[in-house]
Amino acid sequence: MGPDRSPNRWPVIALSNIVKRYVMGGNDVYATRGVSLSVSSGEFVAIMGASGSGKSTLMNIIGCLDVPTSGHYRLDGVNIRDLDDRELSRIRNRKIGFVFQGFNLLPTMSAIANVELPMAYAGVPSKERRHRAEGALESVGLADRMGHFPNEMSGGQQQRVAVARAIVTDPSLILADEPTGNLDSKSSVDVMSAFASLHAQGRTVVMITHEEDIAAYATRVVRLRDGIITQDHHQTPSHPHESHLAHARQAEGSSALAGRP
Amino acid sequence: MSILANALMALRGINSNKLRSLLTMLGVLIGVAAVIVLLAVGTGSSQAVANSINRLGTNTLTVFSGGGFGGGTSQAGTQTRNAVLTQTDVTLISDPNSAPDVQSVSPVVTTSETATHQGASATTSVIGSTPSYLPASNYTVQSGRSISSADVKAHALVVDLGSSTASSLFATGSNPLGKQVQLGSSEFTVIGLLASKGSSGLSNGDAVAIAPYTAVQDQLTGESQSFSQLLVQGKSSATLSLAQSEVESILAAQNDTTVTNLPFSVLNQASLLSTATSSSKTFTALLGWVAAVSLLVGAIGVMNIMLVTVTERTREIGIRKAIGAPKSVVLGQFLIEAVVISLLGGVLGVLAGLFVVRFRIDGVQPVLATYSIPLAFGVALLVGVFAGLYPAFRAASLRPIDALRHE
Ligand SMILES: Nc1ncnc2c1ncn2[C@@H]1O[C@H](COP(=O)(O)OP(=O)(O)OP(=O)(O)O)[C@@H](O)[C@H]1O
Ligand SMILES: [Mg+2]
Repeated sequence: MGPDRSPNRWPVIALSNIVKRYVMGGNDVYATRGVSLSVSSGEFVAIMGASGSGKSTLMNIIGCLDVPTSGHYRLDGVNIRDLDDRELSRIRNRKIGFVFQGFNLLPTMSAIANVELPMAYAGVPSKERRHRAEGALESVGLADRMGHFPNEMSGGQQQRVAVARAIVTDPSLILADEPTGNLDSKSSVDVMSAFASLHAQGRTVVMITHEEDIAAYATRVVRLRDGIITQDHHQTPSHPHESHLAHARQAEGSSALAGRP
Repeated sequence: MSILANALMALRGINSNKLRSLLTMLGVLIGVAAVIVLLAVGTGSSQAVANSINRLGTNTLTVFSGGGFGGGTSQAGTQTRNAVLTQTDVTLISDPNSAPDVQSVSPVVTTSETATHQGASATTSVIGSTPSYLPASNYTVQSGRSISSADVKAHALVVDLGSSTASSLFATGSNPLGKQVQLGSSEFTVIGLLASKGSSGLSNGDAVAIAPYTAVQDQLTGESQSFSQLLVQGKSSATLSLAQSEVESILAAQNDTTVTNLPFSVLNQASLLSTATSSSKTFTALLGWVAAVSLLVGAIGVMNIMLVTVTERTREIGIRKAIGAPKSVVLGQFLIEAVVISLLGGVLGVLAGLFVVRFRIDGVQPVLATYSIPLAFGVALLVGVFAGLYPAFRAASLRPIDALRHE
């Protein structure tokens, strides 16, 4: 059943005619050329498209990190242009969990301190912060890397720290820009299982990916080309254990397990 | 987010770049210490100048005969005569009707003699005067007694010895009182010892022998009609210039001339002091400016470091904003960092300044100017806040995505 047909679903994200224009040396570069998209609560959306098609641009706008050149964006029914800095930071802190394409961890802080940071801004007491950060890092398979600094970790490990930081506040909207881009199949399954379980709990997930296997987790796939939506269809998510990722996991299992103490 | 959590975050920021924080702190430290030390040197040297002038005697005018622009002579009509300071002048100046602002006037005859006692000798300046000379020129009797009016009247051969003259003539431990000291060809009886005054730069105020002027005129100078100086003590330093004009008009009348053509020079101790004080104030102010410049340089250093810090950490600011740090928290973090750095630098600077001030610098014993501590400290703190505010405000106002894209 389609999410928009269900009576208890409401549009979390409502983009209408979003245009993002950059001026580069006198030339206009359009990253998006009028994107309209509505995502209902509880959907798991995969955004796909070639490199440079405007996926990250769109994601940054959805995540309230950037503002469109023109067009309207309503988040939970609120036009974000009407919000001030404090309200926006509250939304970024409480409502949204953002996984960046480039991780964006603080290099001067350990993995666990990075994961604790959004909770620090939310005013969570330090004991609880630590406890929840440990849980989030365990769920992405990094129980043994908590005290490591970003430069002491592989790209995949950093990406999983970024995922842990995004999910630790238990946000209702998870936005992930190629969350498995640097991961092997085993780690991809860890991360996608974390997203799938958040989705199962009713969270809304929007994720950018280049991989069809990863997109298979989603209930809806949106394809972009040159800043325009070319395809938007609903699908039944394939269960992680039925996908070939699970087979890959079994194939790699012995070596992956050997790599972990 | 609480102030405390924010302060902790700021401390972590300082800690994560120790060298840079340390250098910034050093800039503030040097600026603050320089302000304190230089102002203390200025205060110390102006106090030293004031002290040495005060030792000459306070509230006093010295009238020198033969000095002044008149060249020691005065023209009255066709008559020309040598202008001298006489007993009549003394009597007129000490009359409260003609000179109401004069406390006392002491005629002075001076000569330099070799004083001897049982083979020991010392060159000493012999001052012949009246009892009022001692308090007027800040001499105090340590033991024995001062010369008296009776001694003056009786032409008594008695003397009060300055401390260095006494120590040159008498062995330590022996009591000079009542002993005979030979000045020139005459024997004087020591009746008092004067407390040390210290040297006042030009002359050693302790290498003196003070005797009744009548005795000095009789025995040493041979002169009996005139004095080399008059030491006039005013009633207060505030009215000293009034006393000066009274003295000047009396002397002008006595010599049939005008005040401007007075054949004597009148040295006003108070105006000497105020000239010296104002020039040393200028000196202190100059030092203060030098110190202010060094504090300013320190301040620019802090500002520069804060700008670099913020630019360098723009991505960090982007990340913090992207995961929910509001502008105020980012602003607070950088502001607290700047304040902590300048506060620490300020405290260390005050301590360094207090330490350095304990030593003599270029022969000047610095005297801590209390106002310099809150001044330097306040300026350091203010600088920290302003230096931190602008870059922090700039960083905190960035849109997260722009901060994140910053390389
Ligand atoms: N700050 C910028 N200034 C100028 N042009 C930009 C800027 N950011 C993005 N673009 C342009 O906008 C277009 C879309 O970029 P975007 O990052 O959204 O692509 P993407 O779909 O995420 O690509 P990828 O899959 O490689 O991450 C690109 O052509 C890019 O050159
Ligand atoms: Mg991208």
